[in-house]
Amino acid sequence: MSSRSAYAAAADELASRVLRALRGTEDAGGAALVTPHLDSAPGASGSPDFPDSLDSPGSLAALAAVRVIGADTFTPHVLTGAPFHASDAAAVARAFEAFPVPGHGPSAPPDERTAAWRDWATAQLLARTRGYAGNPVPATLPETRDDLTDTTDWQRWSVRMAQLAPLATPALEGPVRDAARDAALPLSRGLTRSVLRRDFPTAVRLLRWLALLRHDGIALPLEPEPVLDHIRLLGGAGPRTALDLAVAAHLLNGRTEDVRNEPSEAPA
Amino acid sequence: MTSSAPAPASAPVAIPAPVTAAARAMADRALSWLHAHRALGALPPGTTEELTDPDGVYKPLGETTLAASIILRDGMAGPGQLAAAQSLMDFNWLQLRKGDLLYERQLRHTLMTDPLEMYAHFVRCGYRHADMDRLLDHRVRLRSVHSSELLPNRRLAVANAARITGLDHGEDFEALARTTWLGATPEPWAINWITAYAMTHTVFHLTDWGGRPEGLPADLTAYVRTWLPVWIDIWREVRQWDLVAELLIVGACLSEPYCRPEDWEAMAALQHEDGLMPADGDPVDEDPVRRYKEHHHTTVVTAVAGSIALARAARAR
Repeated sequence: MSSRSAYAAAADELASRVLRALRGTEDAGGAALVTPHLDSAPGASGSPDFPDSLDSPGSLAALAAVRVIGADTFTPHVLTGAPFHASDAAAVARAFEAFPVPGHGPSAPPDERTAAWRDWATAQLLARTRGYAGNPVPATLPETRDDLTDTTDWQRWSVRMAQLAPLATPALEGPVRDAARDAALPLSRGLTRSVLRRDFPTAVRLLRWLALLRHDGIALPLEPEPVLDHIRLLGGAGPRTALDLAVAAHLLNGRTEDVRNEPSEAPA
Repeated sequence: MTSSAPAPASAPVAIPAPVTAAARAMADRALSWLHAHRALGALPPGTTEELTDPDGVYKPLGETTLAASIILRDGMAGPGQLAAAQSLMDFNWLQLRKGDLLYERQLRHTLMTDPLEMYAHFVRCGYRHADMDRLLDHRVRLRSVHSSELLPNRRLAVANAARITGLDHGEDFEALARTTWLGATPEPWAINWITAYAMTHTVFHLTDWGGRPEGLPADLTAYVRTWLPVWIDIWREVRQWDLVAELLIVGACLSEPYCRPEDWEAMAALQHEDGLMPADGDPVDEDPVRRYKEHHHTTVVTAVAGSIALARAARAR
């Protein structure tokens, strides 16, 4: 397995875990999420080649997955009130220690600024975890001399907002959510474009933003429910897309029973 | 204007200068190409009203006539171009034996709509055929004609042709509009290529090719303005230039036109030096007959798009 696909598989594994927790089907609902994810990584523990579990490639991929899933790791806690364990918080902190936070000054390239926003979101939620006080990441706003409010190039802008979908959660306020609130039309155009291009992972991430706007009582130029059903039927069964769908469905319906209909297993 | 003259309800929206520059180049070059290649669009000798292959030459001939008639109606072209458009109208009128062929076809096939639709392009520029007028006046009063089962956007095409020809029997265009795909203001992400064409034609006929933008109901205008940028984007990406050119017409027909300079300049840049507009991203054939057959429609659409955008820009000044 190439390291790239090992990293993608690890992100899928964690997304599946989060999704099961969101549906309430994880063992003893409310159990730890991140710790078992790290423990289940190939070569994570007891491997003679890697006495320090952090050094195995599987463990590195599992830690990287925590950074990739980021704020979405907290989704069951945010949406259903399931407890977020202090041990999980410590595991998220370890992921930050293993992979440095990228630069995010005003001159940083857009990808790095996007990563900085995602890290900020994770750090915000980490800082709120009850019983945990070891947050290694400053939860300060990234430099915001950013183009988040300029939606002239709605195509590129909406792709960026899709990358920022972990911030589309009722638990976080801030400039990204503010930008989305003023941009129901560019988000809807981006969503429409993504569906027509059959880019369903991007489409469902934009749908999350629209679902959050609906949750906030903002009028939308299109009906989000049929798009949700359409992507659920056509969008494939990847765990990360399924997790985004589950979040969107939860925000639109305020119920979890609809969430349970989505595919649950990561591809082998 | 006296001081008591009513002010317009809202100031017309200016079309950006780069769009008018692109539109002029597109319309002029496309018309030149249509005129230069008109012999390739001639009906085969001995063609009768039966038209064994109506889509082969007859339909494209109607499309060229539409483009020339819009250019003459809008009057935005220079004197040479207007003369070329008039010359194309005359050429095509003679092809149809000064309307006799249309008359004979309508006489033999009461329920067919294409003779009326093609005749309307000529009527727009003052051509008339007395027997055809009498026949159409009879035909339009038949319940059978009104009850023919057409797709809603086709029904609009026929209704608009009847209106141009002076046979408007109080057709309820608003009600007809509601029966189209566009009239349902449907999910914009559930559109396909053929439905997009249907949508463009709904706009063309309701607005009479930009001549009466208010003919598109306000809510449908708002719907089109909301989603047209997405549709232009995705069909540009897959290089469906024929459909993109039609979508540019749609934007130019709106009461508040949507004409984005980048779209118009990109299309103008695709046009060949001789005026041909490629139908899609595939290579253009060298053979003159195949070139004409494959790219004639897109070049017609390009001429129409350019003319309408120029007319709308002039009206906004």
